[in-house]
Amino acid sequence: MPDVRIGVLSCSGEECLGGTVARLATRKVMEELREGTTVSLCLPLYVAGGEEERNFAKEHSVISVDGCSKSCARKATERFSGDVSDTIVISDILGEDVALGKTVSARDLTEEHYIMVDKVAEEICKKVDKIAAE
Amino acid sequence: MSKIKVIACSGIGKAFGLMAREAVLKVTNELNPQEAETACLAHIITGDDEGKEKVADQICITVDGCPALCSAKSVESESGIVKAKFRVVDEMRNHRGAKAGTGTTLTEDGWKITDELAEKISAKITELVEEAKSNA
Repeated sequence: MPDVRIGVLSCSGEECLGGTVARLATRKVMEELREGTTVSLCLPLYVAGGEEERNFAKEHSVISVDGCSKSCARKATERFSGDVSDTIVISDILGEDVALGKTVSARDLTEEHYIMVDKVAEEICKKVDKIAAE
Repeated sequence: MSKIKVIACSGIGKAFGLMAREAVLKVTNELNPQEAETACLAHIITGDDEGKEKVADQICITVDGCPALCSAKSVESESGIVKAKFRVVDEMRNHRGAKAGTGTTLTEDGWKITDELAEKISAKITELVEEAKSNA
């Protein structure tokens, strides 16, 4: 894998399960599946004016990972740093009913949730690999 | 009185963001579900009018992981009435040397500190509800 740094910006939405899955899948990609290639960007800090996060997004490819079709992470990136290189919307992968379900605490995660996280993480990895190969 | 909005930063980079998120979930799902609810910070700050209306002119409590205070600043900028600002970093000062975990999982210490923070937020909610009743 070439020396490429790709930002992954997750919404981490607190009101629905999609936000939880987005967050966990992003962490899994960064910590395990594409460690060293990917960097997670903190959305609240990014929007609140974090120069480091915004400059990274201006200079590197960014994949937004949104829990629902409101696509807050993608919109934030476009507003402050320009186009995203690719997007993931959890409701497109898991279905709207699942993504908009009740959010869960990390202490209540089940095997079913981890399967969802793996599925989304796999999709993020596909996009990371595609960008890295360009 | 409408439900008090309790809004976490949910910062993704460190354990503190996860602790803020988990403390808020405990408060809104278990400790004070009748009096408080959370709102999606990402939607408030980057979304449409519907997102902003969740906090505008509403009684809010913000819970931030770090001194950047992203939740507090963002809610205030969208005209939320912030009655209390909690910071995980302050809680950690009461537990010198504790290892809280990562942005993915918390340690036993991390959960303990998170639960303590949730109790403090809950107490503040009770205080605000009583205050509203006495002013009614």
